[in-house]
Amino acid sequence: MRNPVMVGERVYLRPLEVQDAEGLASIDAVETDTFMWRGPMPSSPLGHEKWIAKLYEHLPPRDIAFAVCLKEADRFIGMVGVYSVDFVNRVGETGSYLGPAEVRDKGYGTEAKHLLLEYCFDRIHLHVLQSFVLETNTRSSAALAKQGYRHAGRIKWADIKNGRYVDGNVYDVMRDEWLVARDAWLQSRSSG
Amino acid sequence: MRIVYLTGERVYLRPLVLTDKDCGSAWHPGPFLMGAARAENVLKDEAAGRERRLALVRSETEEIVGSVKLVSNDGFRRCWVTFHMAPSTNDPDALRAEALRMIVPWLRDRMEVMVVSVDVAGDEVETIAAAEELGMVLSVRFREFVARAGCRVDSLTYQALNPRWEVKDA
Repeated sequence: MRNPVMVGERVYLRPLEVQDAEGLASIDAVETDTFMWRGPMPSSPLGHEKWIAKLYEHLPPRDIAFAVCLKEADRFIGMVGVYSVDFVNRVGETGSYLGPAEVRDKGYGTEAKHLLLEYCFDRIHLHVLQSFVLETNTRSSAALAKQGYRHAGRIKWADIKNGRYVDGNVYDVMRDEWLVARDAWLQSRSSG
Repeated sequence: MRIVYLTGERVYLRPLVLTDKDCGSAWHPGPFLMGAARAENVLKDEAAGRERRLALVRSETEEIVGSVKLVSNDGFRRCWVTFHMAPSTNDPDALRAEALRMIVPWLRDRMEVMVVSVDVAGDEVETIAAAEELGMVLSVRFREFVARAGCRVDSLTYQALNPRWEVKDA
């Protein structure tokens, strides 16, 4: 493991580095699912490099992004993060993106997300977190519910999909709700 | 020359100008300090960017009592409105409510914005009343999202949908 911050059973989180830019662009290039947003869009490693460098320009940071890596073979499989962090109100917006498709549905994303939530609630002591999901992205909505998030409302006409404006679902989660969800996840993992 | 955009009973909106650097705390959001040198850089950076921040000025005294930021990532089809009220203002909720009554009709009815969104803290009752009078709908409630002295309150998102837009199934 390189520079680990949060360590789980199969994955660990480390600070995102500019060297991860090519990995992020590679994930974008082979993305097959399109229900999460409008559609596929190639990205440039240079753009990712610039964005990653900006993450470290402010202290305390406004955006905190982790590389998600498999402990076995130390493979980079995407990122999780908390964005627009407000240390006065102690809130932020979480997001995650793992790829390519072959690494999904193996539980890595759930494990990485629980590590992120542990960081948010127990390391930097945020009080409540929000998350935004386009209404067509039922997979992420279901994942958020399993992680303890509750539906907070709908942002009307949030984006375009399939030739029409669609809403965005938004969610929030507090520490005690996340702990219940994590206990259930740990229980299911040990019994499964 | 005074460049005024919208005028209400007690407040009006105008673009920020370089001399406003001397009262950065009044228009720059957040509790952290904003001295004149830093404020000048922020004014220049914001003027060159896509986001627009307008000064909210009390007509009677010409004092800046806050600011309103307009953010749109799609050429003003959708617009987010964010208020900051000066820490020295003793009637921020009333002034913000008056500003909202000017801004929403301007954006929705004259600028043809499809949807105007604003975040309001749950204890800002005059602003909430103004939003509801304007026909804005409560779209989101984030629980305990805003820290107050000794307590927390919810954050509410109100949205004004432009009835002149026909949006299938939305």
